[in-house]
Amino acid sequence: MADVLLAAAGIILVTVALGLVPIVRGASATDNILAVQLFGTGGVAVLLLLGAVSGAEAIVDVALTLALLSAFVSVAFVKSYPAASSDVTRSSAMYECRA
Amino acid sequence: MMTFVNLLLAVLLLALAAWTTLARNMFAAVVGFIAYGALLALAWVQLSGIDIALTEAAIGSGLTGLLLLNAASRLHVNANAGGNTGRSRLRVPAALLSAAVSGALMLCVFALPETPPTLAPDVAANLASTEVRNPITAVLLAFRAMDTLLEAIVLLFALIGVWSLSSDPHWGGRPGLRQYSEPNGILAYTARVLPPIGIVVGAYIFWTGADYPGGKFQGATLLAAMWLLVLMAGLADAPPIRRTWLRVALVAGPLAFIAVGFLGLQTAGAFLAYPEGFVKPLIIAIELALLPSLTLVLGLLLLGAPLRGEEP
Repeated sequence: MADVLLAAAGIILVTVALGLVPIVRGASATDNILAVQLFGTGGVAVLLLLGAVSGAEAIVDVALTLALLSAFVSVAFVKSYPAASSDVTRSSAMYECRA
Repeated sequence: MMTFVNLLLAVLLLALAAWTTLARNMFAAVVGFIAYGALLALAWVQLSGIDIALTEAAIGSGLTGLLLLNAASRLHVNANAGGNTGRSRLRVPAALLSAAVSGALMLCVFALPETPPTLAPDVAANLASTEVRNPITAVLLAFRAMDTLLEAIVLLFALIGVWSLSSDPHWGGRPGLRQYSEPNGILAYTARVLPPIGIVVGAYIFWTGADYPGGKFQGATLLAAMWLLVLMAGLADAPPIRRTWLRVALVAGPLAFIAVGFLGLQTAGAFLAYPEGFVKPLIIAIELALLPSLTLVLGLLLLGAPLRGEEP
């Protein structure tokens, strides 16, 4: 059973790594954001699988933390990405400086 | 099969490290760094360092990711204004320096004796006297409490350093830029739905720290992230740094820590010693006092120097 779970973790890691290939080849803002999101989701999945294999329940807490913060980082990415905030989410990511 | 997963992790880590260093686009490099942090958390889990994995996921990937994103966004503005100079010239020396540091570290690891010097058996033998079950918490708040106290104070110094970068007219004002978002947009929706969940998880990670991996730092990171999310969506505004309540809240945690230290001088004969039978309550009291202070410090550190006046 442990081998099946580990194999699944390996497959997820490979999938997530493949998601990075477009970025290496030069991708758009949206691709970058999606790759980060994929890493968050994939990381959570791998953590849960590793937690099931090793029986250490605290790994689930790491997965929880990663899940929350990857959602947070995605939002931060959209807010700070210049191309994204001008094209993709012009209306939702406006900010101005009141100096 | 475990070896295969570990090898895969190692290869991915090296590839991402190379990508983060070599990426031409700053934002792509930040993507690489954030992904690298998530992978590093996995590597720490495989090395049975779950406490470190938690910290890496929270601070290494989450908050540092946001810090780098903000920096990249500012540099991007400057680069468009014609301030982009010497980045490519610095790249090769930077890569060489990083490689040299990594090489030196690798040599040090190989030079370690077969059984490295460790205090772990001593910690395990004396863990019962601290009444907490997580050895990391026992080390951080009982055996080496002084280090943790100084760490909490160093964070305050860092915040003063960041604040001192503000220009004179804006001193005492609100940090960062006022953020706006569509009231019914997806961003405002996320900033309403996620924080309640995040606050519960943050409190849980804090509370579980006495007996399992977790603690005030990781909990405070999650709480700070949720606060920043609300600010990013424009649902609330950052407080002016002139406010007295803010400054009191910032120093309250370290002050409570020092007070418990002096209490130890009276009751147990040494600074930061805990009287027998009250060790766990006192440790939890310190952590509880530090949690709001750390949350504020981490959040304000990421918001940066004041950029506007006190008016909202």
